[in-house]
Amino acid sequence: MASFKKTQIRSLPKIGQKVTADTLYWRKLNFPVTVKEFGPIDYIDVMPIEPYFIAVSSAAKVQIYNPITHQVHRHFTRFKEAAYGASIRSDGKLVIAGCDEGHVKLFDIGSKSLLRIFKGHKGPVHRCKFTTDNVHVVSFSDDKSVALWDLPSETEIIKFSEHSDYVRAGCVSSISSDLFLSGSFDHTVKLYDARSPTGSTISVDHGSPVESVLMYPSNSIFVSVGGTELRVWDMLAGGRLLARVSQHHKTITCLHLASDGKRLVTGGLDRHAKIYDVQSYQVVHTLDFPSPVLSLGITPDDFTVVAGMANGLISMQHRQTQAEARALNPKQSLKVQKKSQTAYRFRLNADFRSVNRTFNPATDVEVATKTDTNFVSRYDMFLRKFQYSKALDTVLTPYIRKKKPAITVGVMHELIRRNGLKSALAGRDDSSLSSILTFLARNINDPSHANIIIQVANTLLEIYESSSLTPQSEKLFLQLQEHVNREVEYVKHLMEIEGMLHILLASTTTQARRSSTYVVQGSSVKPMLPSAAAAANATMIFNVG
Amino acid sequence: MVKMANKKTRGPDKTQANTSDIVVKKLDDATDIVRQPPVFTNDSKYICIASGRQIGIYSVESADKVHSLEEHTFDVIGLAIKDDNILLSCDASGETIEWNINNGTTLKKAPLVVAGIKEFHSFHYPGNGKVLVATPSTYTTNMSSLWIVDSHTRPRKLFADIKSTPHSIAFGCNQGNGSLVVVALQDHSVVVKDITNGVDKKHMTDQRKFTCVALHSEKLIMATGDISGRILIWHDFVHKSRPVKTVYHWHTLPVNSVCFSSEGEYLYSGGSEKVMVKWRLGMSRKQFLPRMGSSIKYIVNAPDNICVATSHSDNAIRFIDSTNKINRAIIGLVKHDPIRGFADTEPIKESVMPTGLVFDPRSHGIFFNAQAGFLQLFDPQKNSLIFNMDVANRNVLTDERNLVIGNAEVLRVAVSPTGEWLATLEVWSNMSAGYHDMNLKFWRYDAVQANYELNTDVTMPHQDRVTALCFQPGLLGTEMPCLVSIGRDLKFKIWRLVDDTDIYRQKESWSCDVAGDFRKLTPSALSFSEDGSLMAIAFQDTVTLWDPTSINLNTTLSHTLVQEPIELMEFGRDNCFRYLVCASKSALYAWDVISQGLVWKVGQLHSSVRCLVPDPKSCYMAAVLQNSEVFVFSPSSSKPVHSVPKMNSSEPIAALFVPRPNPLASGPEWLINSRLLIVDDQQEFLCVDDVSSAGFNQKLTTPISHMDSLPWTPFSAMKAEKQISAAKQLVPVVHQTSGIQGYKSVQSLLETSASALPPMSRICSLFMSDLMIKHGPKAVTAKVNSVDRTSTDLPLSNGHIDSKTQDFSEETTLQKLLTLDCQWLVETVK
Repeated sequence: MASFKKTQIRSLPKIGQKVTADTLYWRKLNFPVTVKEFGPIDYIDVMPIEPYFIAVSSAAKVQIYNPITHQVHRHFTRFKEAAYGASIRSDGKLVIAGCDEGHVKLFDIGSKSLLRIFKGHKGPVHRCKFTTDNVHVVSFSDDKSVALWDLPSETEIIKFSEHSDYVRAGCVSSISSDLFLSGSFDHTVKLYDARSPTGSTISVDHGSPVESVLMYPSNSIFVSVGGTELRVWDMLAGGRLLARVSQHHKTITCLHLASDGKRLVTGGLDRHAKIYDVQSYQVVHTLDFPSPVLSLGITPDDFTVVAGMANGLISMQHRQTQAEARALNPKQSLKVQKKSQTAYRFRLNADFRSVNRTFNPATDVEVATKTDTNFVSRYDMFLRKFQYSKALDTVLTPYIRKKKPAITVGVMHELIRRNGLKSALAGRDDSSLSSILTFLARNINDPSHANIIIQVANTLLEIYESSSLTPQSEKLFLQLQEHVNREVEYVKHLMEIEGMLHILLASTTTQARRSSTYVVQGSSVKPMLPSAAAAANATMIFNVG
Repeated sequence: MVKMANKKTRGPDKTQANTSDIVVKKLDDATDIVRQPPVFTNDSKYICIASGRQIGIYSVESADKVHSLEEHTFDVIGLAIKDDNILLSCDASGETIEWNINNGTTLKKAPLVVAGIKEFHSFHYPGNGKVLVATPSTYTTNMSSLWIVDSHTRPRKLFADIKSTPHSIAFGCNQGNGSLVVVALQDHSVVVKDITNGVDKKHMTDQRKFTCVALHSEKLIMATGDISGRILIWHDFVHKSRPVKTVYHWHTLPVNSVCFSSEGEYLYSGGSEKVMVKWRLGMSRKQFLPRMGSSIKYIVNAPDNICVATSHSDNAIRFIDSTNKINRAIIGLVKHDPIRGFADTEPIKESVMPTGLVFDPRSHGIFFNAQAGFLQLFDPQKNSLIFNMDVANRNVLTDERNLVIGNAEVLRVAVSPTGEWLATLEVWSNMSAGYHDMNLKFWRYDAVQANYELNTDVTMPHQDRVTALCFQPGLLGTEMPCLVSIGRDLKFKIWRLVDDTDIYRQKESWSCDVAGDFRKLTPSALSFSEDGSLMAIAFQDTVTLWDPTSINLNTTLSHTLVQEPIELMEFGRDNCFRYLVCASKSALYAWDVISQGLVWKVGQLHSSVRCLVPDPKSCYMAAVLQNSEVFVFSPSSSKPVHSVPKMNSSEPIAALFVPRPNPLASGPEWLINSRLLIVDDQQEFLCVDDVSSAGFNQKLTTPISHMDSLPWTPFSAMKAEKQISAAKQLVPVVHQTSGIQGYKSVQSLLETSASALPPMSRICSLFMSDLMIKHGPKAVTAKVNSVDRTSTDLPLSNGHIDSKTQDFSEETTLQKLLTLDCQWLVETVK
């Protein structure tokens, strides 16, 4: 009851792209550092442990980049033809890569030496992966087969040849060393279990050539991309389709998880990378690249986003560090710093009125964190003291009146309510009058504030109509008049157009009504609506088609 | 099918039978508590407040009611503390009653005998058995004469033609020798009488009228306030004919009350600025307590100076402590100040109680206007205020001296059928500036925090005044709620709740779905059929029926017999669902919406229908006329079931059927499940009810503890306030009320979709640690000790208890183990 209520500032919601937590998060990526390679970037893999080295396979070599310095840390060139799908082991010591001649080659990152060559595929190997136990390797080859290799003995354990076209996508489970997925150009995605050598356990039809597959960390769901579609499958339910999302308008080529598994990123030939929420599969942000994206890599801490493109460009983007942010915007960071400091205040709780009490530090001293005393803005301070002219002056400073006109209008509104507008506007000198007039002229066209601004303009005219004005203010008054006249013209035009539209709409509705009655007579049966259960089932499917 | 039946020719035998046991009662408990200044007891622990015929004794410490004293048959006009524990009260008929404050019993009743006068205006008690009473003046109206009544001498007239308000009489200035000075105000002068020394004086100032006066208890100092807001301090005004005056002028509006602190150091003053000013006498320093909510009527100082009580026009008494802060308040039902600046053509309801009475199905309370910009919820069962809600959320502005400054007013309220949603329409308008604001606000009831949360705020929902707001009834939970508003801008608008949820937040907001009009006619009334399947909007004399879901015009109803504009319109309930009752200026008639024909019409009413209210629990409907006649009828026929003749001169402005919590055993059918509540233009509540229904009576019989009322003595300081015995007490078992352990983590695990879950190995340890009961090491040991003690204290008389104790000790050791375990785990997890 006793506290002063702040002046209500009405700001209407802006139309356009909404600023969400995600857009803010992904907008913090710095300008990319680009490296040009000779051929298209086939695959990017990120070392899962620090220092998050990035393995890039393109043309006939595999390069390991340092994500901080953007320099090549190691490169492996012992390929006769193109090298594909280099992937780093989870301990960061070994790297494996497939190549055109059908071999799978294992290198030591530390010594750069070639340790093993797995021979047995008859076609190029485009993807190869270490299993979770780190001693097996899975390779996905163009000879339509998927093979599991033993690392120490360099021998093939199982080979599945179920696909009828090139196998260009694959991934391994993060929990079990026996589970792996393959995606092929024959439109199918198959799940294999090394313990059952008879064949795949799950096979689903993606509907178009599969470019990439991914298994969620929980191992209950996997995702496949290919064509312009992303499909989500439930593994536990035997490959039930959970969702189909189509957000790219060209083929989607790569898939990656980000933000600790909470976001899914897809890159496509339409030069975009889309970031999805993994629960709703809604796009939360889009990253743009200069040419078709073939491969994506994101470090586990989201610090670096690497994209490999068809024209051989590698773009590496860093998240803005705090130091960088401070350098760019010193004021804001200072505020943040201030906020983080916590202050404590000690309060004595003892009731000194009672006589027979001894001081007990445990109960009588209360430690309280300093609460933010509610901030009272300057205009509220003046309004509280009924100093209306000063309150209006504070909101007519160039910053507020240009950047935050809603505040100026809010204070004007409050002055109208308090019947103090006249006294606040009266007796102004040339410069302050000109600032009011320019503000009015600038905002009188804004429909959200117009009624208040018109009221202020009328009061201003009433006050100054009889006083002699300097030529400068006179000019501004004329300018205001011109603004109003122009607005009146606009509204007239708009009303004319509205009238025309009304005629058109009226004629179409009468026609439609005539025809619609006929239709109603024809089909008296109501169309069947989906039942509640059916509706619930349907909610998981997004953007069909 | 048109039946004509005039109300005058109703069956007299039937109604006669009913009137014998149907009565119109006045709800008394809802009267204001600020008509008379409150009185502190001598120990400043209790405050006595007169409200109508009752006196309430409230604790100052907690602001709770301790006793309710109900013996007076007329309104109480004055209260005084006679002795330490005796309260003296006087009512308008001159009956004085002495009460024991501690237990609320009557000690003595005695009538005042003053020259055969039967009516009294105010009552004061200076002490020593002397009583000051003001009686109506013999010649001039609105003026009083002041009499002094003593037990052993005849009543003596002190002054004639003084103002009759309670603050225009003051006494005090004992000057250390027990003398008594009485002063009273006339319009432009102060009359002074020193009773012990027999001195008379009359002081006059300029043309400013006096409003209030106060006297210093010891010294010869008088303070007067006047209509210009000036306070004058008069020194030695008894002996000198031109006393020295000091001017204290801060108030711009008339000073309503002045009050000296009990030591006489400070002076408190207050007025319509809603600011209490604390002046230090002899100095220019002053302290302010601004924004007290509503204008101050009385200021009363506690005898021990610890606090000051202020009575406010919003029917609240607030306590201000010595640090100049409001710390408690006694709040009564608020009377809405009539809105100024309305055109005369508007009905009186629009300015006195624009919202009318709106039933809240959730709390079974009634919403209506409180002070400007506020809405209150009143419980008709208990006759108490549930809460007072700030709808406008603006600073309350006070008038300037020659300038009326309006505040935002709540004009319309609607509650959704489930009570989840509340829609309010507030308007602020300045006729001189030609500017007005209108906000339609949607509030959602939050059951956890037990208050309403603002959901959507729509600026200017209509271009002109909104005539009615109504939620669509009868919706099942599956559909989104829907509100319809009609306004004088010829439009009706349909507002729907829109789900605006995305992955970041859950959000629902209201937005305008459809805005429509009908032949450029003004919509005047709105009603939904009980099941919500049909919406009727009256446009002048035409009733239009719409389908609320598709907004298709089904039918229009009009007839040559009824060509006056419709003012009120309601669908029948229950088995009369098909009838739509309409009221115009002089006629009441009903349409059948199924056969689309006029069913009956009653023309040439005595006066126009003010309210038309359907009973939600039966098929009956009540029509309240402007001359306060009430007819209860069933919409299917024009014959009234019951009629109440003219009640009093006041004009009814709103009415409502309030459902009863338990139905009556016997009585007329329309009263079994609900009773009719009517508000008149004085905002008094009248209730049409059966005689047999018992009112809600709650006697407060808590006696005041003897210790509280005793004065402080050195011996009382020696006596311990709390006694601690050495005997060990049984420690009650404390249930865990903070919720199920780990509930949140389980919830979050279940809510997160399987796809987003990290691998089980990573979340397992965190999840398990959440499920464990976390104890501080201290708390646990204390608990264990207490359990140990209880087990040793238990009498080991039989084997059964013996075994129980064993269980106890076993349990404690287990508990110990468990907590130890926890500690270790939690640490490792961290």
